[in-house]
Amino acid sequence: MSGQQRLLASGLLLLLLTLALAGWRASQAPWRQWLRRYNAAHPEQTVPIAPRPLTPTLTGQTELCTTCHLGIEEISPSHPLDAFGCVICHGGDGLALDADRAHATLRGGRNPSDLSVVATSCGQANCHSGYDATHADQNQVERVLRSLQATYAGGIALVRFTFGAQPDRRARYAVRAVADPNPPPDWPMELATMPFSAEEDIPPTLVGQGIAVSHHPIDTRFRQGCLDGGCHLWEPATLAPYRMRSTGCAACHYLYADDGLYAGGDLTIARDEPGHGREHRLTTAIPFSQCNHCHNRGVYSLRTMEFHDRPDLPPAGSPLSEFLSRQERRLAEYYQPVGPFTLCEWELDCIDCHTSDEAMGNGHIAGKIEDSRVIECRTCHGTVWELPQTAPIVEEGERALLQARLNGRGALKVGDRVVVTTRGEKLWAVREVAPGRFVQTLKVSGETLEVPLAYGTNCPQKPDEQESRYCHACHAYDRDRGTVAAP
Amino acid sequence: MASQSANQRSGESAKRRGNESAQRLDASFRPRRRLWRRHQSLLYALHPDRLPAASLRFTYTFGLGGLAFLAALIAIGTGVLLAFYYVPTPDQAHASVVLIEDVVAWGSLVRALHYWSAQVAVVAATLHMARVVFTGAYARPRRFNWLIGLGLLVLLLLWDFSGYVLRWDEGAYWALLVGAALIQQIPFVGPSLYLALVGDTTVGAAALLRFSVWHIIGLTLVVGFGVAYHLFRLQVDGGISRPPRPPGQPRLLASKDDLIRVEAIATLIAVSGLIALAALAPAPLGPAADLTQPPADVRAPWIFLWVQRLLRWIDPVWAGVALPALLLLFLAALPWFDAHARAGLWFHPRQRAAHTAFLLLALALVALSLWEALS
Repeated sequence: MSGQQRLLASGLLLLLLTLALAGWRASQAPWRQWLRRYNAAHPEQTVPIAPRPLTPTLTGQTELCTTCHLGIEEISPSHPLDAFGCVICHGGDGLALDADRAHATLRGGRNPSDLSVVATSCGQANCHSGYDATHADQNQVERVLRSLQATYAGGIALVRFTFGAQPDRRARYAVRAVADPNPPPDWPMELATMPFSAEEDIPPTLVGQGIAVSHHPIDTRFRQGCLDGGCHLWEPATLAPYRMRSTGCAACHYLYADDGLYAGGDLTIARDEPGHGREHRLTTAIPFSQCNHCHNRGVYSLRTMEFHDRPDLPPAGSPLSEFLSRQERRLAEYYQPVGPFTLCEWELDCIDCHTSDEAMGNGHIAGKIEDSRVIECRTCHGTVWELPQTAPIVEEGERALLQARLNGRGALKVGDRVVVTTRGEKLWAVREVAPGRFVQTLKVSGETLEVPLAYGTNCPQKPDEQESRYCHACHAYDRDRGTVAAP
Repeated sequence: MASQSANQRSGESAKRRGNESAQRLDASFRPRRRLWRRHQSLLYALHPDRLPAASLRFTYTFGLGGLAFLAALIAIGTGVLLAFYYVPTPDQAHASVVLIEDVVAWGSLVRALHYWSAQVAVVAATLHMARVVFTGAYARPRRFNWLIGLGLLVLLLLWDFSGYVLRWDEGAYWALLVGAALIQQIPFVGPSLYLALVGDTTVGAAALLRFSVWHIIGLTLVVGFGVAYHLFRLQVDGGISRPPRPPGQPRLLASKDDLIRVEAIATLIAVSGLIALAALAPAPLGPAADLTQPPADVRAPWIFLWVQRLLRWIDPVWAGVALPALLLLFLAALPWFDAHARAGLWFHPRQRAAHTAFLLLALALVALSLWEALS
């Protein structure tokens, strides 16, 4: 072989080697790796190593997301994968199999219900927004944006008033500016974005948005110490055990475990990385533990503008969740040692009493907690002198009936009578099954409970004292004895 | 009998004559068995039986022109494959590129090869031009071919840019907007040229279709004929330039086989390098163009980064039209300014002025591009 022939042969060999390199690189594409891992985890039902197209009926646009996200839970029965797919909510590039490219244009990162993008995801026309006045309750996106959970308006007003930054408790500011074109009398029409103390405190991301400067020292401190710490739906939660949650709609409807670990079937979601929902699922059956990720996790010190975690919480995650009964866990996690509570507060979940309008707002800007809080003990238990107020289910498609069907626990039908709040919101889960006899269906567990009534008893209550603290005087649960003083 | 036979003979000879002419006619009409006629083919002209050994010297040409040619061929081959999947409509263009990239078997490799061979073609052609300057190879009689080469470089850049636009991702769309706006700045013909290229009052479906046709058909044809002429002219001008043979020294010749072997080895190495590059570095692709959202950070394709830097400083007419035109004019006129150049030797002192001017200009463009890329 001459020198040139050797060179030619080496060139050919080089060409073959680079072709082999190209082939090897193609076989190592991450999406192939995910499918291989899926097959390794499910030897009983292996899938071909090929892109997995899905063409949702609502969009008609093919997406390949489930090639990598194979095994992910369907988000909810009302959002079936075959109809919705992924892109309609999440955005992104459904045809891309490269993670970076596929995810570059995701709405709100992992969470399309983040309030900054919710109008383009959950709030798309014909979804959870865009209904006329007769179905205004279906405009969940606008309702939430105006609710206290998103604005924190009452809290801001109270703190600013306490520190002398404003002359009264009237709400002027919200976490983000918000407006309501048709407020009820005495409700705010609009709230401005919470001010900063000085011009130089405004972070670059918020410059140019017309945020006011108050020249009062409390505003920046309050913002940075409390509002940015995750106390409203706009802000991500602190990544700490018990406190992990998502933002926007998902803050409540997407359940997190206490340790913030994913336990579903999508192999691409790290199982040892705190900060993921327990499963890729939305629910309206929200257990107390989810509310707990924000509420009752400790106290704010107004003096230092710092949050102090409760020191008495057991370690998050297992073994607590596995070995304690629901009620025991509740006792350990929820109630602070000095806090009184009644049996129903302990046994029911928050959403068994607190209604949709209370939790998500009624479509108007609530300026204080009293605007939002409607439920009282007497809503379900009545008073000594009166039975609970009730109203009939009048027509198919009315709100209470839809809520009942969405929950799926209680069989409600047209003609049934249910308890109703003073603002006319029907509690679909508390039915009057016979004159003067009320049964409640628990929204999370589906259990049914007979509702004990104050009507006709010798309870020494006064007509104008109906808040829970008055009832606690006699009906508080005694932890040491494990009983209620007066059942 | 005799006369009869004489008649016969004359008749036969007439017939024979007739046959001969028929045969000649036949011969001239006979279908060609050989499509490639040795002495009338450009390919043969480029591969003569004997050629000066100096033309084969690697350290003289570094094979840059050949590399640019080879890379362009690979870009055409892979481009044909891509064209089977590419859809030149605004709502489908990016999606079809994503499909090629992620779903089509070997699509990512083919697209990366297409991308990298195009970039290599631009780099190699530019370096080839520098080599021609630094060896004085544009000296008479090669001045005209220098102009052809310069035109080819401009066409190559347009070819590259039009391909970049076809991605229809964020960067490409905004680069097209900027490019189209610059065209409008050209005095007198700007608005008509804009309309001819963009095909509409706004940059959209018509522009994408036109750019795809220019990229896939128009420029390919023009560059193809241009390159053929460039090579033909090279032969007319006496082949690859080389230093004059000192008197008394024997003429050193190489054979066609040597040439083909060298070409084969260089091709294998270059193709391997391109495949390795394509396998390790996929062709870039940004998120789909969102016509409603101005992107946060738009970069021109790397070949025009220097224009983008200039646009940040000076008037668009100067940065995008006048200065590039002056640059081209300077390059075109270089062989005439550098009238004393003699082909064949690297960095001949006689050419110092031209070399210095060219080098300073090249450094300025590189510096501007780097500045823009790193800022």
